[in-house]
Amino acid sequence: MIKYHKVSKVYSRQDKAVLKDINLEIQEREFVTLVGYSGAGKSTLLKMIYAEERPTSGDVYFYKTKINKLSRRKLPKHRQQIGTVFQDYKLLPQKNVWQNVAFAMEVAGKSEEEIAEDVPQIIDIVGLKNKSHKYPEELSGGEQQKVALARALVNRPKILVADEPTGNLDPISTWEIMQLLLKINEYGTTVVLATHDKDVVNRIARRVISMDKGKIIKDDAHGRYCI
Amino acid sequence: MWLQIKRTIKFAINNIAHNYWLAIATIGSIAIALFIINVQIANLMANNLLLEDIQNKVNISVYLKPEVNDEAGREIARKIESYPEVEKVNYVSKEEAFEKFKKDTANNQVLQEALDEVGDNPLGITLNVKARNSEDYPKINEKIKQDTFQDKIESINYEEYKGIISNLNEEIRSSQKITIILAVILSLIAVLITFSTITITIYTHRKEIEIMKLVGGSNFFVSAPFVWEGIIYGVIAAVISTAASYGYLQYIIKNSSDGSLLSLSSARFIKQFLETYLIRNWAIIILSQLLAGIFLGVTSSLISIRKYLKI
Ligand SMILES: Nc1ncnc2c1ncn2[C@@H]1O[C@H](COP(=O)(O)OP(=O)(O)O)[C@@H](O)[C@H]1O
Ligand SMILES: [Mg+2]
Repeated sequence: MIKYHKVSKVYSRQDKAVLKDINLEIQEREFVTLVGYSGAGKSTLLKMIYAEERPTSGDVYFYKTKINKLSRRKLPKHRQQIGTVFQDYKLLPQKNVWQNVAFAMEVAGKSEEEIAEDVPQIIDIVGLKNKSHKYPEELSGGEQQKVALARALVNRPKILVADEPTGNLDPISTWEIMQLLLKINEYGTTVVLATHDKDVVNRIARRVISMDKGKIIKDDAHGRYCI
Repeated sequence: MWLQIKRTIKFAINNIAHNYWLAIATIGSIAIALFIINVQIANLMANNLLLEDIQNKVNISVYLKPEVNDEAGREIARKIESYPEVEKVNYVSKEEAFEKFKKDTANNQVLQEALDEVGDNPLGITLNVKARNSEDYPKINEKIKQDTFQDKIESINYEEYKGIISNLNEEIRSSQKITIILAVILSLIAVLITFSTITITIYTHRKEIEIMKLVGGSNFFVSAPFVWEGIIYGVIAAVISTAASYGYLQYIIKNSSDGSLLSLSSARFIKQFLETYLIRNWAIIILSQLLAGIFLGVTSSLISIRKYLKI
């Protein structure tokens, strides 16, 4: 469902390529972990899926559409089909848990009835049923990441992009988040997870793509962390 | 679409409620901007009234010789009135002039007695000539002096007025110029303050804007709440500034003859301005205040949000 075709990236005002001739395909329902040192180019690669960055050369496909050719007007619709979670959660500080999750549906133009039905359901799935009126600053890191996850999933995206979602979390929260990601994947959502947490990679033992200096150096179907 | 608009309004209200200090600062600066503009406009209007008033009072008096009779006097009046520069000639007959003179000197015993002694009316006909434009008096003066009836004229009082008239014209004109320049500068400063306040507001929201875009918010959806915010600020500020301006002008009327910000115009003219202009046009004034407030709020929102929408 995602395909990188000869993708290279050079950030403006920099001469060094961050991604070098990447060719990669991700199938539906896959759980892909992307590993590599900081600076290897993992985030840049993921940003191309939700069109925050465009390749300098090459194309990135979402099914048949070239993401890098999407017009600015079509971007919002594209992003609504993709769930994203990040190391810094990116919650709206002025909205409580319920509102943060509902926001993704409001943006997508869902009706109030749908929102009233789906939001409590997804909040329940991530285990924050009794915290839905708390504001982000009243929650622990792990709980905030669960809110972010709920928001990413509430529109039932085909693919979830997770860029170091456990980077700021303690081991227990990390594991809770990983459990949720696996569960989501089981229900049919493709998951692309970037991380440099060796433990995480080894315990889930799914497809591992190793990156170094802008290149894919290894792609194992049941890989281990080995950099 | 309607649902989405409703949602953006909800977000705007939510934003204001969470940042009410910033909201107060923004409303305050828009209100001050409008207030300054209002006072300057009132000042200009009052100056215009003053100018009009002075021009209304100024005229040339043509004194005819005592032997000129009523018929000849009226003929001269008609001739002067036919000059294109002349708006009106006010004809004062010998008798009226005499009555007026007696009245004016009523408490001057000596003069009264002298008048009684003469018995006869020593005064001539007076023609008060009013120009359409106060700048035309010199021209009118010249025309009268060169017309065919010049031998029937005793005197024209223009010469003694000349200095005063041209001085006044000049003074009013230059004060008007200063007021306009001042108004433009002050208004510009006020508008800039508003712009920067709203820029700060949006800067504090830049992370949220980024998040909204990431979740798939369209540019409309992301920026509309800020536009609503601008509208709400503008409306509240317009109400405040209208009330404040009215209060301030009333205060000026009651407390001083030369208002501090209102240079040349005397309180009387501001009062006249308030009474005639403001009260007759209150709907237009309130509407224009609202529009100005909304315009300020919305344009500064749009300008400052633009750079965050690119991602
Ligand atoms: N917006 C940017 N502008 C310039 N350089 C960038 C930008 N984002 C990332 N980089 C550079 O690109 C390289 C790869 O970054 P990134 O994709 O974030 O790697 P990773 O996520 O693997 O740590 C780094 O050297 C980083 O400094
Ligand atoms: Mg990264």
